[in-house]
Amino acid sequence: MAYFEYSDSPYPIRDDIKAAHRAFWVRLASPGCWWTGAERIAIAGEIREATGCGLCQERKAALSPYTFGREHEATHVLSAEAVDAVHRVVTDQGRITQAYVDSNAELGLSNEAYVELAGIVVAAFSIDEFHRALGLTLEPLPDAAAGEPSHYRPQQAAHQVGYVPMIPADGATGDEADLWQGGRTANVLRALSLVPDALRDWQRLASAQYLSMKAMASFDQLPERSLSRMQMELVAARVSSINECFY
Amino acid sequence: MLRVSAYTTKTEIDIQGVSGNPEAAATGIEFGSELMTFAEAVASRNEDDLAIARARLLEAAGESVLVDAAGVAGNFQRMVRIADSMGIPIDDMQANLGKQVRQELGLNSFPGARNSLK
Repeated sequence: MAYFEYSDSPYPIRDDIKAAHRAFWVRLASPGCWWTGAERIAIAGEIREATGCGLCQERKAALSPYTFGREHEATHVLSAEAVDAVHRVVTDQGRITQAYVDSNAELGLSNEAYVELAGIVVAAFSIDEFHRALGLTLEPLPDAAAGEPSHYRPQQAAHQVGYVPMIPADGATGDEADLWQGGRTANVLRALSLVPDALRDWQRLASAQYLSMKAMASFDQLPERSLSRMQMELVAARVSSINECFY
Repeated sequence: MLRVSAYTTKTEIDIQGVSGNPEAAATGIEFGSELMTFAEAVASRNEDDLAIARARLLEAAGESVLVDAAGVAGNFQRMVRIADSMGIPIDDMQANLGKQVRQELGLNSFPGARNSLK
C-alpha cells in the first residue's frame, strides 16, 4: 500500500512533507532499539485511543494523576505501563514526574523503552495533528516488519538533567556525530538522545513540518515555504502557549 | 523565537498575540490574526472552532499558507510533549530576553516550569 498520497486533500501537500511522513511510517513499522515493529505500531495506535479516552479526561480533571483510582489496562501487545505512558504523553504530559518515570522503570518500562515510546508518540502525533489541522482522514497505520529490537544504547549517555539519561552536549561523537555539531545543542534536542534514532526521526519530521536545524539558525524565509519566520513562530508560540509549554 | 525573529527583521510586533489577542497577533505579522486563531484551534482540539479557523485562514491567505501553518502547528504539538515527558529544564534561565518574555506572558505558572525553576 502506498502511504501519504494525500489524494483526499483539497489542498496540495508539499512533496517534502509527503516524503518525511512516508519515511517515518517505514521507520515506525520496523524494529527499533527497544520495541518490535508490531509494538511500535501498537504505540502509534494507542495515540489515537488516547485522544478520545474518557479515563484520560477524568484523570486530567483530577487534582493529581497519582491519586486517581482507575488505570489503563494492558492490550495484547503492550503492557499497562506502556499504554498508560502513551496516554500520559498525549493527554497529560505536564504532570509527568521523575517519580512516574522511575516507577515505570521498576515495573519493567525501562528508561530506554520509555524514551523510544515517547519518540514514537511525538512523531506519530505530529503527523496525525497535521492531518487533523487540515481536516484530513488519519493515515492507516502500516503493517509491521519482522525482526527484533537492536537494544542499542549510546555509551556516552548519562543522567545529568531531566528524568532520563541523555547524551552530553559534547558527546555527539562516533555513531552519534550526526545528532548535533560541535557541542552546539539544546536540552530539547538532547531529550530523546538515549535512543538516537528517536531524535533522528523528529529532526527529519521537523525539517519538513517546521525547519531543519540549519534553517532554524537563519531568519530568512525559505523560498519553498509560504510562511515567513515570524509567521511560523507566531503559530508555534500560540500552540505552545495553549499547551502551557514553559520550555 | 518570535521575539528574536522580530528583532532580526526589525519588525514591531506585540508579543501579547501569543496570549490570544487577535489585534496584537496582527501587529507586524501578515495574516497574524488568522494564523494565531488557527494555531489556537489546533491546540485546543475544538473541532468546530478548528473548521471555522481553517476556513478563515484559507480565505485570507490561501492553500499553501494553510498547509504550512498546519505543519508548524503539528510540529509544536510535539515539542511540549518532548520537553515535559523528559523533564528538561530551559537551557539558559538567566538570559534577559527569555526572562522578559516569560514575565510578559506569565509562563512561570505553567506546570512544566518546575523543571527549570527548581
